Amino acid sequence: MKIKKALKYLPSFIFILCIFTFMILYFVLPKADHSPQEKRNLSAFPETNAQTIIDGKFQRELDTYLSDHIPGRNLFAGIGSFYELLCGQNGSKGIYLGSEGYLFPKPAENKENLLKNAGYISEFAESVDIPVYMTLIPSSGFINSEYLPLNHEVYNDDKLIRSFGDTLSKKVIFKDVTDDFSANWSSKQLYYKTDHHWTSTGAYECYKLLSEPMGYTPVDKKDFTKEIIKDFYGTSYSKSALWTVSPDNIELWSNINQPEDSVKVEITDGNDSKTSDSYFFTERLSEDDKYPVFLDGNHSIVTVTNKAAKGGTLIVVKDSYAHTIVPFLSQNYSKIIMVDLRYYKKDVSAIAQKENAEAVLVLYSLDNLSADNNLAYLF
Amino acid sequence: MIFSSLLFLYMFLPITLALYYITPKKFRNLTLFIVDLVFYAWGEPMLVILMLVSIAVNYTAGIIIGLKREKKVFAKAVFIAAIIINIGLLGFFKYAGFIGETLNIVLPFLNIPVIEVALPIGISFYTFQTMSYTIDVYRNTVKMQKNIITFGTYVSLFPQLIAGPIVRYEDVAEQLMNRKESLAQFTDGVKVFLIGLSKKILIANQMGELWDALREGGADSGAVGAWVGIVAYTFQIYFDFSGYSDMAIGLGKMFGFEFVKNFDYPYISKSVTEFWRRWHISLGTWFREYVYIPLGGNRKGLGRQLINIGVVWFLTGLWHGASWNFILWGLYFGILLSIEKIFLLKLLKKIPVTFAHIYTILIFVFGWVLFYFEDMGEMGSFILRLFGSDGFGISADLKATVFSYIPLLLSAAVFSTPLPKKLYKLIKSPLALCVFDNIACILAMTVCTAELVSSDYNPFLYFKF
Repeated sequence: MKIKKALKYLPSFIFILCIFTFMILYFVLPKADHSPQEKRNLSAFPETNAQTIIDGKFQRELDTYLSDHIPGRNLFAGIGSFYELLCGQNGSKGIYLGSEGYLFPKPAENKENLLKNAGYISEFAESVDIPVYMTLIPSSGFINSEYLPLNHEVYNDDKLIRSFGDTLSKKVIFKDVTDDFSANWSSKQLYYKTDHHWTSTGAYECYKLLSEPMGYTPVDKKDFTKEIIKDFYGTSYSKSALWTVSPDNIELWSNINQPEDSVKVEITDGNDSKTSDSYFFTERLSEDDKYPVFLDGNHSIVTVTNKAAKGGTLIVVKDSYAHTIVPFLSQNYSKIIMVDLRYYKKDVSAIAQKENAEAVLVLYSLDNLSADNNLAYLF
Repeated sequence: MIFSSLLFLYMFLPITLALYYITPKKFRNLTLFIVDLVFYAWGEPMLVILMLVSIAVNYTAGIIIGLKREKKVFAKAVFIAAIIINIGLLGFFKYAGFIGETLNIVLPFLNIPVIEVALPIGISFYTFQTMSYTIDVYRNTVKMQKNIITFGTYVSLFPQLIAGPIVRYEDVAEQLMNRKESLAQFTDGVKVFLIGLSKKILIANQMGELWDALREGGADSGAVGAWVGIVAYTFQIYFDFSGYSDMAIGLGKMFGFEFVKNFDYPYISKSVTEFWRRWHISLGTWFREYVYIPLGGNRKGLGRQLINIGVVWFLTGLWHGASWNFILWGLYFGILLSIEKIFLLKLLKKIPVTFAHIYTILIFVFGWVLFYFEDMGEMGSFILRLFGSDGFGISADLKATVFSYIPLLLSAAVFSTPLPKKLYKLIKSPLALCVFDNIACILAMTVCTAELVSSDYNPFLYFKF
């Protein structure tokens, strides 16, 4: 009889146990400063004084603090994502879960901004007297649409890239890679599964396609050795909190014919600078996000020189997708200057002139260029 | 502080429960009163003073009226003064800006400066509670409360402080002074609280996201999308508000209180009259008790009754917010209720039930359009969109969004009816019931916590009232 009664009241015990356990754990568990999965710093305990309490700042921030430091935070975030998945969202937090373990960010189109950027790039091309090449990389969701869940928002990458190309000035030599990428989606893995970026294979395909308008001879695929890096969990993975998805491999492609000590990478961020003799920054592989293994991630100016290459100087105006393709382009250009307009706010044509550049390549992913507001800094 | 937050669940609630239950019975109201003030001050550190003033005024008025009842004129004067202060505080803090703006439109030459004051959270709720006390003491239907702690606890009781239900003093007077908490009641409270929490976090928030997406989609949504959108809002507001009431009732039980039911499956109603007997019951009761009946109710002929209905619904609309759309929304229901009173209700009883349901659903769904849009221009264009001004079809992207919410829309529809409860009642075996209850509790806590952690999307709709 007693057991029966106790069982009847069990929900109370569960509830009490649960809320008290959490409270005690909050007080006793050590707090992390950084969340590797979210790639951000967790909030610090709010400032406590009469002023912050009276204006309510302390109270507001405490809630964020508790949310950031709840015991089992990643587990709960994962359960939350699973709930969204179960409810019919086909993914979670703006990421679709496709077949074969593919994660796709939802389409992030903004035609208006894209065409505005086309205007800036055209104006820039008109203002310089060297050739300006351009390509826009379609999103993984569009190219791998066969892997997308049945119900999803529409990826219009082909139409957008076409109308972007049509809007550009004739001075810009635009290479549309969409059709070639679309033809290869099943035979080659052009994009990572857990990240929005393209793989080395994807970048190599683009390197081959650009060779025709840009007039260089691409190094044959057979001439590369591939070093495989395991357990890469990309940003789509972190965003989605779908923890059960398998990791990717990163391939680092090196030209076997490349003489030793021919490569120098010089990274400049404002007044700081550092140099390296490899395209690949393997120390970044120990971090949570391994993609910066390619040319050390985003910096305002990165200069890549290759004594063994025949061509002259190339300026690359870019987003992070370029970090994978520049090692290939570096086989053909003795000096490549990568400019990231998100950090470099001075005139790009001045660099072209000073460096006596032979050409400019503007390389962005469609999603990034749709959102980017920095193209006005080109000239 | 809101209930559906980690701060409340895993910090405020355990501390409050611990403090409450280690306090000797005699002083439990004092403990409650103190945590209530902390709870209120958490979001409104300075405005807690306003609530204390309101408590002091009504407490004093109650004592004076109670003691000097035989001096009729004096008691009446004190009563009227108290009501004026109550309505004056509510009027100033909630409606000053609105009244100023309206006067400036009607009489522009006056050029009245428009006062902007921050709306104190819950003022509409606690003012109605204190007024119920003062009115009832004056009418001599309840005894005055001599203990200011007990009275303060009544007004500021944290479970229902921010978004109701509006508990009349009469209903809890006995419990305030004399209540016996029990494990059985506590267990009930846990269940009701978790049901409310799940309604809010697992359904209302998601419906809100769908409504936002479709509304912000504008012309892309077409007529189809606009209807799905307003249906999503219909679910959002019900699950949000009734979820909050459930949480309040559940928390009340944990501290030994029994509050009246606030929602009784309003969306299954077969007439607007029935809808308002099932929706926000505590507010309807308040207006019936303190406005409609004192005005004469239905005892002075049909003409007078219709006027009374008009007054009550104008005020009901206005109570929901200082904006014309709420008044419009109130009058919309006032007119429909009058029409039902005159002839429609008899007709609705004769026609097949399905038609009565469809009629009622259309009325309240459309009502939410009036309720949502404070900007008349936006309201106008949304209404036109409902009838095809932007075409009927929905854009491919929004269609994908709508499809992804179909499972939740269907569950929302099912949980708006008593069907799940009926199915639950079918479980007869005590063992099965026990297993079900406990698993449901664990699941609800886990998934709600997960959703709270994984999303910051957690605004409470009923905050602004």
